[in-house]
Amino acid sequence: MTPDINPIVLFFASVFTSNILLANFLGMCSFIAISKDFKSANGLGLAVIIVLLITSVLNWAVYHLILVPLNLEYLRFIVFIIVIAASVQILEMVIDRISPALYMTLGIFLPLITVNCAILGVVLLLQIRNYSFVQSAVFGLGSGIGWWIAIISLAAIRKKLEKAPIPAGLKGPGITFITIGLMAMAFMGFSGILSVQ
Amino acid sequence: MKGSDNIFDKLSRIRGLKRFATIFSTLKGIVYGVQEISVGAPHIRDNIEIKRYMSCVIIALMPAALAAIYFHGLYVLAIIAVSYVVGGLVEVSFAVIRKKDIEEGFLVTGIIFPLTLPPATPLWIVAVGAFFGVLFGKEVFGGTGRNIFNPALVGRLFITIAFPGVMSGVYKMPLSDAITSATPLGLFKADHVITPVWDLLLGMSAGSLGEVFRLGIIAGGLFLMFIKVSNFRIPIAYLGTVALFAFIGGFFAPNVFAPPLLQLLTGGLLYGAFFMATDPVTSPMTNSGKWIAGILCGIFTVLIRTFSGYTEGVMFSIILVNALTPVLDTAILSIKYKAVKK
Repeated sequence: MTPDINPIVLFFASVFTSNILLANFLGMCSFIAISKDFKSANGLGLAVIIVLLITSVLNWAVYHLILVPLNLEYLRFIVFIIVIAASVQILEMVIDRISPALYMTLGIFLPLITVNCAILGVVLLLQIRNYSFVQSAVFGLGSGIGWWIAIISLAAIRKKLEKAPIPAGLKGPGITFITIGLMAMAFMGFSGILSVQ
Repeated sequence: MKGSDNIFDKLSRIRGLKRFATIFSTLKGIVYGVQEISVGAPHIRDNIEIKRYMSCVIIALMPAALAAIYFHGLYVLAIIAVSYVVGGLVEVSFAVIRKKDIEEGFLVTGIIFPLTLPPATPLWIVAVGAFFGVLFGKEVFGGTGRNIFNPALVGRLFITIAFPGVMSGVYKMPLSDAITSATPLGLFKADHVITPVWDLLLGMSAGSLGEVFRLGIIAGGLFLMFIKVSNFRIPIAYLGTVALFAFIGGFFAPNVFAPPLLQLLTGGLLYGAFFMATDPVTSPMTNSGKWIAGILCGIFTVLIRTFSGYTEGVMFSIILVNALTPVLDTAILSIKYKAVKK
C-alpha cells in the first residue's frame, strides 16, 4: 500500500519535521567530521543532496522493476549498497572532471558517502514505507536538503566557537555534541506537524 | 580612594581565600563601582558597560515581574530566588574553577528564565531548568557573550521536553488558586474560544508568569528600544510576520489559524519578541540578518502553534533561529563582501 501523502507535504516533512539528521540521527559521522570547515561542509552537503536524489530514484526502480518481479526482495541490502556505491563512483569522476578544487577538499569523504548512513537509511525508509516513484524522488531530495541545512548551520556555529574560551575538556567533539543536542531539541518543536508515513 | 583600602582586597589576600578572589573582586565592583581608566583612545566618557546594559533590561522587565507577584502571590518570589541562587552558583563555581571574572550575564538570565515559567511550577523543576540553561546554554560555550543559544530558553526548552506532563498542567488563572491547563491558545485550539483583548492586555488570562501583563511587557520592550539597548528590527519583523501569516492563514482556514490579534497577544510572543529574540549575543550582527531572523521566527512560531502537538511555538522558533544565526551571518557577509574579495 502506497501511503497517501501529497509529495509537496512530504518534501517539507523531510526537510524540517523529520529531518534526517536532527530527528532521525542518520549520517552523524560525516556530519561531525566535515563540519569543521564551512566550505567543505557546504560541498559535502550539496554532494549528499545529489547522491540522495539519484540513489533514491535508482533504487526505487531497481527494487520495483527488478527485485520484486523476480522475487528477490531478500537481496535488497546488497543491491541497494551496490547501486549507491556505483552512483557515488560516477559522481566522483564527474566532480573530478568539473571541479578539481572541490574534489580535493572533499578528499576521502566523497567515497565515504557510500557508507553514509543517511543514504542507506533513506533508501531503506523508502522501501519500508512503500513510497511511490514521485514520493521517493521528493523524499530523497528533501532529506538531502535537510541534511545540507543541518551541516552548514553546524559548520557556521563551529566556526564561531573556534575562538571561544571553551573548557579544555570540551573542545572539539564535546562541544559539538552539546550543540547538536540543543539543535535537535529545537527541532522537536516540529514534531507532529507533518507525518511521513 | 586607593584600591588596597577596601575590605574585599584585604579578604582576597588572605591565603585560604585566594581561590575565591574572583568573588571578592566582583563584590568590590558592585559596592565601589569600576575605577579602571581607559589606556588608549577612544576615551568614552560614559561609563556604560555590560552591568548597566543588563540593569536596563532588568528595569524593563520590572512591570511584568511585579504584575506576576501581584497576580500569583509570594510563590513567584520563591521561583525567582531559586533561579538566581542556582544560576548564580553555577556561574560562580565556573568562575572560581576556571579562575575568571564572574560575568554579569546571569543577572538577566536569572530573571528572564523564571518569568517564562507557568505560575505553579514546582521549585525543583525551576532549579533543574536554571541549572541546565546556565550550564549547557552558556558556561560550556565559554560564558557570557559566547553562547550560541539563549540560555534562559535552553533551560525552558529542556524542562518542557523533559517534564511535559508537569509543565502543561501548572497554569493558573491570575488571583485564584485553581490549577488549569487552559491558556488562551489552548482554548482556541480545543474549542475556538477567543479571549477578549482587554483581558489579555491586563493579564486576566492563564499563562506563564511574565507573559500575562501584556501592557507592561509592551511598555518595557518599547523602553528598551527607545534607549537603544535592544534593536527595533527583530521585534517589528517578528510581530509583523506573525500578524501577516495569521491573517493570510485565517483567510483560507479560519478554524485552523487563530486570528492575528489573538496570535499577537497570546503565548510568550510579546515577551519572546521584545526580550529574547533581541538578545544581542544570539541574534545576527547585520541589519539584513536581523530582518530575516525576525521573519523566520514569525513563520516558525505560527507553523508550530497551528500544526504541531505543542500549543506554544515561541521558544522553539527562537532557538531554531539561534541555531541558524551563524549561517545567516556567514551568508550575508559573503554576499556583501563579494565585490571586495574580487
